[in-house]
Amino acid sequence: MDKHKKNFSFIAISTVIGFMIAIQFQSIKEPVERDTRDLWQLREALLQEKELQSELISEIRSIEEKLLAYESKQKQSKEQALRDTIEELEFEAGLTEMLVPGVTLKISPILEEIQIGASVSKAVSPELLKRLLNELNMYDAKYISVDGQRIINTTVIRDINNETKIDGHALSSLPIEVKVGVDNIATAEKLYNRIKASKATEEFFTENLKLTISEPNPEVTIPAYDNPIRIRYLESLKADEGGNT
Amino acid sequence: MWLPILGLIAGILLGLLTDIRIPEEYSNYLSIAVLAALDTLFGGIRAHLQNIYDEKVFVSGFFFNIILAASLAFLGVHLGVDLYLAAVFAFGVRLFQNIAVIRRILLTKWSTNKEKLEKN
Repeated sequence: MDKHKKNFSFIAISTVIGFMIAIQFQSIKEPVERDTRDLWQLREALLQEKELQSELISEIRSIEEKLLAYESKQKQSKEQALRDTIEELEFEAGLTEMLVPGVTLKISPILEEIQIGASVSKAVSPELLKRLLNELNMYDAKYISVDGQRIINTTVIRDINNETKIDGHALSSLPIEVKVGVDNIATAEKLYNRIKASKATEEFFTENLKLTISEPNPEVTIPAYDNPIRIRYLESLKADEGGNT
Repeated sequence: MWLPILGLIAGILLGLLTDIRIPEEYSNYLSIAVLAALDTLFGGIRAHLQNIYDEKVFVSGFFFNIILAASLAFLGVHLGVDLYLAAVFAFGVRLFQNIAVIRRILLTKWSTNKEKLEKN
């Protein structure tokens, strides 16, 4: 009986030991046993890992870009807003060169009609030019330049010592070109037709000048106003003065 | 005394068939428990051969050694000292001593048997 009991405990304990050894063996050997993939399986696994890598890299990149954007936004937000405003104002004031649809008018002397003894007109009178510009403005012209001089809100056209001057630039030699820019090609077409139908041509003719109008052009370059704009009588409005709405 | 080996084989088969795995961080405990159990087993075999075998000592020693070794390893992990090495060292030394004793006993038994055969 005692011997049986002894044998039983020996068997039980050695079984438990064997069990523990087997478990330990399995736990430790597990990674080695598991990696029985062949070349193609390994390639597939590598591909998956690479995809994951590239995904992670692109994610990192996008996040870094965002971070950079945020940083630069923080730094430049006010500056950028001011810059945008300045650009907008310059655009409105005529300090930028424009490439817009429009027409080109050409003022030239009528040489073949000159009679002997009659004076040859060398220049356009300021009145005539003003009248033309007013007419053009009436026909929705947005940006005008005369002989390379941009016409802005404060432009003066006057006669100084028998010379017609636009903001100090003398219009001495004919022919001169008047470039007119509008918002879109349809308006340019309209403008072209209205000038053709207007009296401007005849008015120029009475002064021995010929006004030729080119076909509407989708791209007319209007130069920028190149003199400094002096504002002498303008003052900035304080917040409590006048309506700030 | 082939019973322990039979039990060992049976246990290994059982363990492999059940497909149980333990987490990596607990493999230290299990290895030290295996060592303690082996020490007890060889101690039991030696005691049996020396005829001083006690059932209670054997069974209680088995469990007590395992628990002691595991708790020593646990303490070591929490103290930051590799205390399980102490258990490994102690059990290892005792394992070798026990196996040496078993070998000598078996050798003397074998030589006495041979002498008896020659006398007869």
